Order: sequence, then C-alpha cells, then structure tokens
Amino acid sequence: MMNVLKDWIFTTDHKKIGLLYLIGSIAAFALAGIMALLMRTELSAMGPTITNNPNDYNVWLYFHGAAMILGFQIPALTGFLANYLIPLQIGARDVAFPRVNALSVWLFYMGIILALMTFVVPNPPDVMWTGYPPYSVLTPGNTALYTFTVLLLGFASILGGVNFLTTITFMRAPGIGWNQLNVFTWCTYGAFILQLIFVPVLGTAVTMIMLDKYVGTHFFDPSAGGDVLIYQNLFWFYSHPAVYVIFLPFIGIVFDIVATFARNRIFNYKAAIYGGIGGIVLLAGEVWIHHLYVTGMPDWLRVGQMVTTLMISVPVGLLFISLIGTLFKGSISFKTPMLYGLSVIFLMLIGGLTGIPLAIVSLDLHVSDTYFIIGHFHYVMAVAGTFSIFGGVYYLYPKFTGRMFNETWGKIGFWLSFIGVNTIFFPMMVVGVTTGMPRRYWDYQQFPEAESFHVVMTVGAAIIALGFIVILINWIHGMFKGAPAGDNPWGSRSLEWTTTSPPLAHGNWEAVPTIKEGWGPYEYGTNKA
Amino acid sequence: MSDHAAHAHGAPTTPWPLVISIGILFLIPLAFIFKFVNHQPLAAFVCLVIGAPLIIMGIAGWVREAIGGAEFPEMRGLGFSAMGWFILAEALIFLPTFASYWIMRLNAPEWPPAGTIDMPTVMPLIMTVILVSSSFTIHFAEEELDKGNEAGFKKLLMITMGLGLTFLLMSMYEWNHLFHEGFVISTNIYSSVFFTITGLHASHVIVGLGIFIAILLPALNGTINHVVVKTGSLYWHFVDIIWFFVVSQMYFW
Repeated sequence: MMNVLKDWIFTTDHKKIGLLYLIGSIAAFALAGIMALLMRTELSAMGPTITNNPNDYNVWLYFHGAAMILGFQIPALTGFLANYLIPLQIGARDVAFPRVNALSVWLFYMGIILALMTFVVPNPPDVMWTGYPPYSVLTPGNTALYTFTVLLLGFASILGGVNFLTTITFMRAPGIGWNQLNVFTWCTYGAFILQLIFVPVLGTAVTMIMLDKYVGTHFFDPSAGGDVLIYQNLFWFYSHPAVYVIFLPFIGIVFDIVATFARNRIFNYKAAIYGGIGGIVLLAGEVWIHHLYVTGMPDWLRVGQMVTTLMISVPVGLLFISLIGTLFKGSISFKTPMLYGLSVIFLMLIGGLTGIPLAIVSLDLHVSDTYFIIGHFHYVMAVAGTFSIFGGVYYLYPKFTGRMFNETWGKIGFWLSFIGVNTIFFPMMVVGVTTGMPRRYWDYQQFPEAESFHVVMTVGAAIIALGFIVILINWIHGMFKGAPAGDNPWGSRSLEWTTTSPPLAHGNWEAVPTIKEGWGPYEYGTNKA
Repeated sequence: MSDHAAHAHGAPTTPWPLVISIGILFLIPLAFIFKFVNHQPLAAFVCLVIGAPLIIMGIAGWVREAIGGAEFPEMRGLGFSAMGWFILAEALIFLPTFASYWIMRLNAPEWPPAGTIDMPTVMPLIMTVILVSSSFTIHFAEEELDKGNEAGFKKLLMITMGLGLTFLLMSMYEWNHLFHEGFVISTNIYSSVFFTITGLHASHVIVGLGIFIAILLPALNGTINHVVVKTGSLYWHFVDIIWFFVVSQMYFW
C-alpha cells in the first residue's frame, strides 16, 4: 500500500503525472459544476431563492470561472492529455524533464488547495475570474487568494510549456519528421508557445493587483496617476490567447478521434498545420482589444481589432475544412469517443458563428455584457472544450486503464450532456438578444420576461449534472469491471496504440520504437503501418 | 535517477518536486496571506520557517539526483534550449511592467510625480559595471571549463557569485537609502513601478545565484555537469541584459 502511494506521489512517469492531472482537473470540474448548479438554482426564480446575500453569488461566480478555466480545462488539456499522449505519439520514453513535470503537477495541486481555501476563509474572493480593478482592490474579499491561485497554476503551465516544447522538438523517435506528427501534438505545440508568451503577462497583472491592494502601490489607482485600463489590457492580452490555449489542444484531440473513427487520412494536413495552427498562433496576440470595445477607445483601434478578430476565422476555417474533409468518404463508426468528436464540430460551429457578429463593433456594443455573450463563449470554449476533453478521456480510456468502458452507458451519458448543454446555453443566447438581460446579475426583477428562460436553463443544468454522474460512474465501473481492452481497440495507426495497454510503467516501450520509411499516424488503407 | 536500479521495471521516483511545491505553498502564498491579509505576522513567520527549509532541502536533493545527467540518453543536453524557452517566458514577466510604466508615464500630466526625490546616478552606474563584469567572468569560466581547467572554472564561478552578491548588497543599500529619503513603494506611481521592477530584477539575481550555488557545491565535490553550467550562464546573461532596461528606464530617463 505504502509502495503504491509512493509510486504515485513521488512519480516522474509522464503517464502517472497525466493521470494525476486528470484526477485534479475532474475534481475541479465537479466543484465548478456545483457552483454552476448553485447559480442556476438561485436564478431559477426571481427574487432571492437559496441565498439572501448577493455576494454569495459573486463567490460562486468567481469559483466557477476560475476553476473551470484554470483548474479544469487548461490542466485537463495541456496537463492530462498532453502529458499522457505526447510522449506516446512521438515515440519518446518520457518527457525531456521528468522531475520538472512532477514539480509542475504538484504546483497545480497547490494551486487547487489555494482555490479550495475559498470555502474556508472568512472573506472569500469575489472578483470573478477576471479580477478587474478597482473592485478587486477595494473589495473586502481575499484577492490575494485569487492572485496566488493564478500564480501557482501559471507557473505550473510555464514549466509544462518549457518541458513539452523541448520534448516535441528534440525527443521524437528517429524517423518521425515534423510532417508525420499527430495533429494533437502539433496543436499542443502551438498551445504551449502561446502559454509561454502570455501566461507571464497574466501573472504580472494579478501580482500588480495584489501589490495595489496590500502593499500600497498605485498601478490601478487613477487618483494617483494609475490606470485601470492597463489591467484590462494586460488581462485580456493573456486571456484571449488562453481561449486558443484551450482551443488548439481540444481541436487536436478531435482530429485524432475523427481520423481514427473515420479510418481516414487527415484532409489537407499541411494546410491545417501550417495555415490553421500557425495562423492561430500568429494572430492570437493581436485581437484582445475586442473584449474592451465598450470601455472607450479611438475608432481606428476598434476597427483594426475588428479586422484582426475576423481574420481569426480564416485559420479556424482551415481546421474545420480539414475535419469535414477527414470525414468525407471515411468509414465512420459511431463509438462514444466519436460522438464527442462529432458533437464538438457541431458545438464549435454554433459558438464560432455567433462569434463572428460579436467581432463586429456595431453589433457588439449592443450585446456586450448580456447573456448572449455567456451563451457564445460557453458554446465555443466551455462546452466544446469539455466535450473534447471527455471524448479524449473515452478515447484514451482503454490505453490508460487496459479495460473498456460500457459503450451503452457511455452513449447515454453523452446524450444527456449534449441535450443538457443545448437546453442551457441556447436559451442564454436567446434571452440575451431578446431581453438584453446583463450577465453576472444574481436577481432580475427588471427582466421578468426572462424568468421562463431561466427555468429552462436550470433544468438543462440538472440534466448536465445527471449526465456527468452517469459518465463518472461508467468510468469508475469500467476501471474495475470492464472487459480487457487489448493494445489497439480502436484500430488506430497512431504510435500510442503500438504499446501495451496500459503502457510499460518505465519507458513506455522496451526500446525506442523503430519507424518505417513513409510511416504516418493517419495512413489508413495502406500497408505502411 | 537515484533508485533506478532498485525499480528495474517500475518508473523512477523522486520526492523532491513534491517537497519543493509544498515549500513554495508555505513560503510565498501562505506567508503573504497571513502577513498582509490576516495581519498575523507570527503565523506568517511560521510559514516562512516551514517553507524555506523545505525548498532548500528539495533543491539540494534534486541537484544531488540530477547533476549526474539524465536517465535516458536522448534526454541529455536538452537543458540549454529549454532555458531559451524559459527566458522567453521570463522576458514576458518584465514586458508588462515596463509597458505599464511607459503608459502611465506618457499619460501623466507632469513627470516626475509629486513626492519623487532626486534619484542617485553614481550607484546605478557602479552596479551596472559590476553586473556586466560578472557576465564576462561567467563566460570566461565556461571557456576555462571547455579547456578542461576545472580549478580555473571554479575560481571564476566564485568571482561571478561574489560580483552578483555585491550587486545585491548594493541594491539593498540603495533601497535603504531611498526609504530614508522618504521614497517608499506607496509614495507615487513612479515609486510603485521603481520598487516593483528593481525588486523583480533583484529576485532574478537571487535565483541566478541559487543556480550558481547548485553548480558550485557539486563542483567542489568533483561533479561538473557542462550542460547545467551553460544553462545557468545563459540565465545569468539574461538577468544582465534585463538590467540594462531597468537601469536605463528607471534611473536615466
């Protein structure tokens, strides 16, 4: 028993570290989900429902946002999926710096501990996940907890980024060229470049808030010559690219899932990699001001940012064309991971297409800070991201447990979640446009016509919760009772399926795998495997 | 890794990353929150006393394990380019603080803002000379090592560390001097930026010195990892280059 515990908490193995990330991030997801349920219950009827203290709602909102983005999505994608998959996909026996990898996962857990302190300190943070000054400086809430949570999770991300960029660059098995990498590996490469460039900026911004609040500096204090807009700019300078830090790995895992279950090559591989991923990495840092359209700025700046924001749809479109083309003439089987993969294409389409009008200044000024925005970014980032993470877990499940989950219950869990998210987030967009109800309100006496929508949304939240419970039980049940999976249950050509399930604890393979001439991870219908 | 042989088929394990993480949790977030949020300096001190030894112990154990080189041959020699990526991230910690400074300064109705004193000019020049010469000495140390002259390497490394330490002591003296003149972090926006940026830079000097200690102590016992030396030296050059930005923007603009 002690040996098993020691093997886990002292581990340097990228697979165990990846699973530690998975456990932590699923826990963060569950807690953030409970916060969402509390908020939905509060909003299910006008007037106070389950609390009389509006600040409770702010604390839930803070925890929900921070935990979903920083505690769940980024660690699940760049922590769990990247850690588990990348060394296996590039034929490496571990990451470049196994101990740094372990440091990174434990810093993530320390960040989770700080985030959990929200529930025990007397004045919990109530600054959303954005922490805008002057409120975050003036509030009695514990903004330092927010800052340090961001700093620890950010430092973990930076270490992860350094580690994986080095790993992918230098540790590919002999014979794997840049054009033979899995799309997921490529996408994560792009995401880690973005992490390295933008996370430090967020770290600096939240540190400046903390210094302002507790040490007496004046960065965001207009009465002393400071400027609150500096914070908003620094924050979104990170946080818009953070959307792509989430988007790139999740579209990457969807590529791998779709190619595997369609038994097909990636359509337009090079256009997707160099045009799609490369384009997103290049444009990611030039669009953040579209979050600030309503804060007041010269028109030339707004129009310029509108153009760059619209330009982002070009590389995203390239990735979409590749995904659709990969399905074309494929031999598609609708297993549970594939349902998630296909649903992400659908959800991204809704989220992406509602994003285009938001880029246009004349429209955005009217719907900014309404429920329309919440519906939009939940579709594009929260739901599509979460569905691809769950699809990725199902996809890798046979590999990391060595067993199969129950396919029927997998599908039931999927459909419950899929119906749930559409029941909650589509009405949000409708209510935003028709009533103009602003986001972040804990009560809506001024918008009585929104009440029926809110009832529907709360029902949707309950359906998602039910779906998640089904999924979780299915995962846990399969770990102990599932049928043995075999090395390659999905019949994939990708390198991670050539090792045993689960892979060798030490080194993944007995020796670095030998790659045949002309091999590729998506060479279906040929004999090159 | 240390117990590689003992676990021929299990993955290697190491306690030090976990120890360091717990140390960081106590040393920085918890100590800060107790001191500045809860106003309990004693509890903050207890956190420091728990956190600092854990970090030092963790780093010492880590270095002892790792200085001999990586486990698989394909992992060896990657530290230098990884440091390049890390420096990219580090540079982007400094960039937003400078950007905030430029925005506030260029938008200010008058500069310097009320409360600013005459900044010293001789001291920062001396500090610049010291830091730049330390960059040269570490470079010469690397050259000695390449020639195989380990004694010369150790001597030049120690000279570099002495210069770095002198720089830090002069920074402390400088801050102390400014405090006595009534120029503290909360005086105005200039002082806010000044102490934040010089403090940030000084913390990087401390990390650089930490790296050098982690190179020197094993070297005195006869273990020198050339990749680690090159990596640490690269970091030191970065800290030196950043100082040019700090000194030119903070003192001479």
